Amino acid sequence: MVWFILRRAGSAVIVLFLASVLIFLGIRALPGDPAVVMAGEDASPSLIEAIRRDYGLDKPLPAQYVDYLGQTLSGNLGRSTQDQLPVAGILAERLPVTLELSALALLVAIVVGVGAGIVAAVRRDRLPDYVATGFGLAGLSIPHFWLGLLGILLFAVTLRWLPASGYVPFTQDPGQNLQRMILPALVLGTGFAAILMRQTRSAMLGALSADYVRTARSKGLAEVKVVGAHALRNSLTTVVTVLGLQLGALISGAVVTEQIFVIPGFGKLTVDAVLTRNYPVIQAVVLITVIGYVLVNLLVDIAYAFLNPRIRLSGSGHD
Amino acid sequence: MRPRQAAMLAVLPLALAACGGGGSGGAPAAPSVADASADHRAVKGGGTLNIALNADPDVLDPSVSTTLVGREVFTSMCEKLYDIDAQAALVPQLAAALPEVSADGKEVTIKLREGVRFNDGTTLDAEAVKKSLDRHRTWEKSARQADLAAVSKVSVDGPSTVKLTLERAFTPLTAQLADRAGMVMSPKAINDDFGANPVCVGPFKFVSRTSGSQIVLEKSADYYDAAKVKLDKLVYKIIVDPNVRAANLKSGDVQVADQLATTTVKGVQADPNLTVVSGGGLGYYGITINTGNASGSTEKPGPVNTALAKSPQLREAFELALDRDQINKTVYNGLYEADCFPLPADSPYRSPALQCPKRDLARAKQLVQESKVPTPIPVTVTSPNDATNQRLAQVVQQMTKEAGFEVTVQTAEFVSTLEQGKSGKFDVVLNGWSGRVDPDGNLTNLITSRGSNNYSGMSDPGIDDPIKEAAAASDPAERAELYAKALRRAAELRGVLYLYHNKYYLGMSKNVAGVQYFKDGLPRFVSAGFAA
Repeated sequence: MVWFILRRAGSAVIVLFLASVLIFLGIRALPGDPAVVMAGEDASPSLIEAIRRDYGLDKPLPAQYVDYLGQTLSGNLGRSTQDQLPVAGILAERLPVTLELSALALLVAIVVGVGAGIVAAVRRDRLPDYVATGFGLAGLSIPHFWLGLLGILLFAVTLRWLPASGYVPFTQDPGQNLQRMILPALVLGTGFAAILMRQTRSAMLGALSADYVRTARSKGLAEVKVVGAHALRNSLTTVVTVLGLQLGALISGAVVTEQIFVIPGFGKLTVDAVLTRNYPVIQAVVLITVIGYVLVNLLVDIAYAFLNPRIRLSGSGHD
Repeated sequence: MRPRQAAMLAVLPLALAACGGGGSGGAPAAPSVADASADHRAVKGGGTLNIALNADPDVLDPSVSTTLVGREVFTSMCEKLYDIDAQAALVPQLAAALPEVSADGKEVTIKLREGVRFNDGTTLDAEAVKKSLDRHRTWEKSARQADLAAVSKVSVDGPSTVKLTLERAFTPLTAQLADRAGMVMSPKAINDDFGANPVCVGPFKFVSRTSGSQIVLEKSADYYDAAKVKLDKLVYKIIVDPNVRAANLKSGDVQVADQLATTTVKGVQADPNLTVVSGGGLGYYGITINTGNASGSTEKPGPVNTALAKSPQLREAFELALDRDQINKTVYNGLYEADCFPLPADSPYRSPALQCPKRDLARAKQLVQESKVPTPIPVTVTSPNDATNQRLAQVVQQMTKEAGFEVTVQTAEFVSTLEQGKSGKFDVVLNGWSGRVDPDGNLTNLITSRGSNNYSGMSDPGIDDPIKEAAAASDPAERAELYAKALRRAAELRGVLYLYHNKYYLGMSKNVAGVQYFKDGLPRFVSAGFAA
């Protein structure tokens, strides 16, 4: 097992190295010179040159890469070219915001999606089913930015129940924080809830027609128990699988939601950084995302190996 | 030194500012908007004002900053030697009076306001001003070097007097000192990271910045005119999406929204709790045709192999196919000022003799025919990829199609269009300029030979010489005449087809009073507050 983990961790390091090369080259392949952006509309060639020198952009690419790798490995992610604040500090500010938004959206998706899926399956071909299926279709079709704008117009401008946008850290004022996160979480969670609803509904329909459910009912078990303890429990495997698969999509959906609701999260940071060719920030953001994916995959691999001995045995070459 | 009052050099009021008026005549009048400078309601003390900015300011260091939104924040926390007033005339701010200029124009003496402290308590004196000005003009990372290029030496002449020695007479200097090049930083706070914790003289002082989200300032106890300042706190929030910015204003989450999009102005005006004031108008937007930018705007011009570059007649035909008023109406809801020159129609430096051509399709077609170039004539227009610019490109495409041009629109991110413009890798590009108080700022780097933003690559002594002479001249009438000469020549060469001067629209809650909004489009909150 230890050997298995070490091997997987080793390949993760290789993936990270290759990713760092790709990130580095990918950003530089984009048209648009960051020095020109920073120098502004009335820049002299000497100023642009000075900025290039300052950020090491005048060096050949391999030398720039070595500098970048050396700095990153020593934990120095550089300074944002937009406001010259340290990138590490910016990431530390932004990451928790997106994690909170994603967690709340996930909560919305599970409560609404799984709940509606159960109701739709139990009340199949009746009004609740039609409503839930209709909601599912709408949820999948409506783009986040449009739903977000509608939400702002309705809840902030017309009804004035919620603030239109912005962010207050949870540690500073939990009430304000939740007030400002409800709408974005609902918007972000809707599409996800629709997917969960459809998966839950079809899994539940399968389970409800299974023999063990018929047996449970014939034993005289209460319907709540039949649905909750038997059918739902067996449907959850599918739901959990979809949940895992969609987590990445949830975080990328946060990019649009954060823009609309002006939430200073990871997604907004990424878009802003790309638009201003903020190399240090883009590099750090993509690297952190890759690290996240690699770590999750590593953990999943390890978990699978734990659960299924065949995997670690075939992997170690001793079978 | 035979001082003559700087009125000669500096005041040169860009007066008449509030008169408005479109350039090409017949432009639809902008909807009636309030005049911020006319708001004299009483203001009560205290409160936090939330202001929505349309973009994230860059680094808050006056030597380095290059964005308009950055200037908006500086207006509240970094005062300058000079400023402009409601009439766009130059007035002293940290200086005690307008500068005294020697007869040959090469020595400029600036007397400073006394009893002024920076927001860290340090006293503002001539040494501090010298330190800032020297940083602006000599630090290799400074974006102000070009603004102060005429200055060869800054010297201290007593505790409250600074003397600038110039290489050549340079009338626009006072206007430069009324922008970031004239901002004075606390000598104690000056270092390479000044932008992370800026300290200047100002009614408000910097408290914090959350990258990409907000900038917080609070009332300064050290300000020399502290009694004038009513608000406790300013929070600048970055809200890029124009619809979301307007929605935040309507919901009351912000009380001021900067640069409303032309598509949202009407909706804000219709709200009984809100008001819209207009400012700006010094800048312009246009269609730049690459006529000689073969290898970069600052390099020697060379031949460009496109039909438009090679034929002035075809450029004339292209312009005559355009209907500026219609463009203003269709793309901008009639909210801008259609014009064909880079100086605002109400500028005292703009000769009334300069008139814009009307759309003349018959003449355009005739010119195309005479050129003997087979039609349709292909033209590639590079446009920034936002919705408004794309709409503009499409309108231009349709209008010029009728004259025999086939415009292909190529979109790119704003940043890329800038770079293409500088490097000359374009046929035609849509781009603009935010504008400067002194006309020199709208011309020298933009249309004279090898200017840093001379994207079209025009290089003509008929443009260069009068603009150079005008920068050294101090008599406004003489300058206006020289500029008229240069602009006439530029209009013949058509490296830039100017389309309009963009106005800025500031949305405000009606209970906010005392905001000043001038030609430079920077809302000033020094005396602002909530109406009593």
